[in-house]
Amino acid sequence: MTTKSRRKGGFVAALALFLVFVAFAYGRDPAVDDGGFDLPPIPSASVEVSTQPLLVEAQAAPPPHRLSDVNGISRYLGVEQAVAARATPGFGAKVVARLSTRTPEGTTNVVLALQRVERGGQLWIQARLPILPNNTLGWIPRTALGGYNEVSTHLVVRLSSFKATLYRLGKPIWSARVGVGQRRWPTPTGQFYVRNRLTKYSSATYGPLAFGTSARSATLTDWPAGGFVGIHGTNQPTLIPGRISHGCIRLANADILRLDRLMPPGTPLSIVR
Amino acid sequence: MSEHLTVEVVDADGAIRDALNDIETGTSRQGFLKKALTAGGTVVLGGVAIGGLPALVTAAPGPAQDAKILNFALLLEYLEAEFYTRASASGALSGEAREFSRVVGAHERAHVAFLKGALGSKAGAKPTFDFKGTTEDQTKFLATARVLEDTGVAAYNGQGPNLTKPTLAAAASIVSVEARHAAWVRDILQQNPAPAAFDAAKTQKQIEAAVGATGFITA
Amino acid sequence: MSDHLTLAQVDRDGALAETLDRIGPDSRAGFLRKGALLGGGIIGGGAVLSALFADAAKAATENDIAIANFALTLEYLEAEFYTEAVAMGAIRNARVRRFAQVVAAHERTHVAALKGMLGARAVAKPSFDFQGTTENEAKFKATAQVLEDTGVMAYAGQAPRVDANAVLKAALAIHTVEARHASWIRHINGAPPAPAAFDKPKTMAQILAAVGKTGFISTGPGMTATGSPPSFTG
Repeated sequence: MTTKSRRKGGFVAALALFLVFVAFAYGRDPAVDDGGFDLPPIPSASVEVSTQPLLVEAQAAPPPHRLSDVNGISRYLGVEQAVAARATPGFGAKVVARLSTRTPEGTTNVVLALQRVERGGQLWIQARLPILPNNTLGWIPRTALGGYNEVSTHLVVRLSSFKATLYRLGKPIWSARVGVGQRRWPTPTGQFYVRNRLTKYSSATYGPLAFGTSARSATLTDWPAGGFVGIHGTNQPTLIPGRISHGCIRLANADILRLDRLMPPGTPLSIVR
Repeated sequence: MSEHLTVEVVDADGAIRDALNDIETGTSRQGFLKKALTAGGTVVLGGVAIGGLPALVTAAPGPAQDAKILNFALLLEYLEAEFYTRASASGALSGEAREFSRVVGAHERAHVAFLKGALGSKAGAKPTFDFKGTTEDQTKFLATARVLEDTGVAAYNGQGPNLTKPTLAAAASIVSVEARHAAWVRDILQQNPAPAAFDAAKTQKQIEAAVGATGFITA
Repeated sequence: MSDHLTLAQVDRDGALAETLDRIGPDSRAGFLRKGALLGGGIIGGGAVLSALFADAAKAATENDIAIANFALTLEYLEAEFYTEAVAMGAIRNARVRRFAQVVAAHERTHVAALKGMLGARAVAKPSFDFQGTTENEAKFKATAQVLEDTGVMAYAGQAPRVDANAVLKAALAIHTVEARHASWIRHINGAPPAPAAFDKPKTMAQILAAVGKTGFISTGPGMTATGSPPSFTG
């Protein structure tokens, strides 16, 4: 072979090698994105991600996970589909309540989430329910609920001392005297949550602002719109403190306006004797 | 020292300017720069004169400056590509290190090809390298790869603002791959793949100093 | 009530301060002074910013502000996704959990930096519904991979559109960290950490469409009603 043809052969070989490198680098890897403009879909519940995990993982269902802590972060979720809340986490369990997506006031219905478990690949949320009897809990399939919303506040109403205190991460940041239910229409005790917030209405009886709660009067069971206990202002502030209402928690108007700046709806509510 | 890693902070001690002056005395710096853009100046890098490596970077992006910066990038890609090519050929790698060298080497060779294609006749020549045994020992290979990839990220990020927009787009598509390489080898080494929330940029001078200090470029 | 991230969410476990400490020797000077950060907090735009983002704030054009808000929206999403995943306690594998914790801290840092840079021009944090992907380890891993790859493509698509050099520098500094995240979770998932020699960019419209399809950005529950007086027991 002459020097010239050897050089030429060398060049051809180099070019071939170059093309091989280029071809290799540009998408020969079978797992590469094809450059198409659709992102891979988020896997649905029934699809296992086909990966080769580098560690072998236990297959048992994870233990229940706590979602709310009144001294820390509490979480509430919107009810996105009408759904049955059940006594235990399973579609065959007894129905405790049927939840709708909206409250009587027209706001999104929400539940306070206490804990989460996984059963047969389905997530279930145990939640406080806005039903009678008060303090009822129920299990709701996660898929009927919306995203997690967090609050770090906790409202505590002490009936016998006619006092309400708002805590943030366990520290008191607001307090006020309150009026509570008369003995024949007592404000219920237990664990609840603030469900919504009403404003820009004209009703001096309720003051400038009202919060709806998940608590319900156990005595006024025929009250229109379910007899929910509210927290609201008043046009009779001189009655506070005292047992003065049909069950609602009444605040002086200035106090409830201050509370509104500090307490988001969804806040857990404890009413104690 | 200023932490504003701007491209204006280049050649603070004039070493490169001195080197250039040695080559062509009596020419105005501006005129010399223009010459350097087309002909390529000579830069001293770690004691070795590198032909064709652009030195000073001016402020405004433009095609000529793009070419200088791409040649700077090409030098780094030549280095990485050769490093991985030799490591893969050495037979010293096994398991995931071998796979890493195979995949990443192919990427770096593709980067070289791309930059050479973009630069055309302006492309600098491939230097001669001596990797001082780091391609022949798996532990040294992995440690060196980590440094090279992290350095590549810092180098590209440092030059981004100096590029014209189309060239920046190309550089962006390369630098994220270098970052993937860096994270990959760090995870192989059981080090934090993403050690910080923000990746620092380095100037050309800092990169040249770091690369020069390795002694990998011998001619 | 405020839509903005609270300090509790931004720096739940002190990770922000810790992350800044680890930025590295070359960048330490000029970055956040630890005392000022821990004392001052990030709420309300009174942020103590790193030099990188302070410079970006001064130089940003209207176009840059729009790009930064686009980036902020994605960072809000990632920050909330990872923070929620850590809080939901469904990640049992230690390696995955460490990934989630480190990346959550990074994304919260990105949010704080972009919010600080944008000041009053920052978009509010949307509401999110991660539809169980933060509550199941396998779904988390797959979703994280998609989110990080998306972030890489988003920043790559926007970098050439940025006007101010200072803004570009900030964007590039985040872009490659998202690529590290992507490579990391891919490696954990057994997927190729660097699937191609060149990463493709995507336009803002393409990214927003893809994110929209996930359904992660949702309108939160509407809990205020106006107009009618309450019908509570009174």
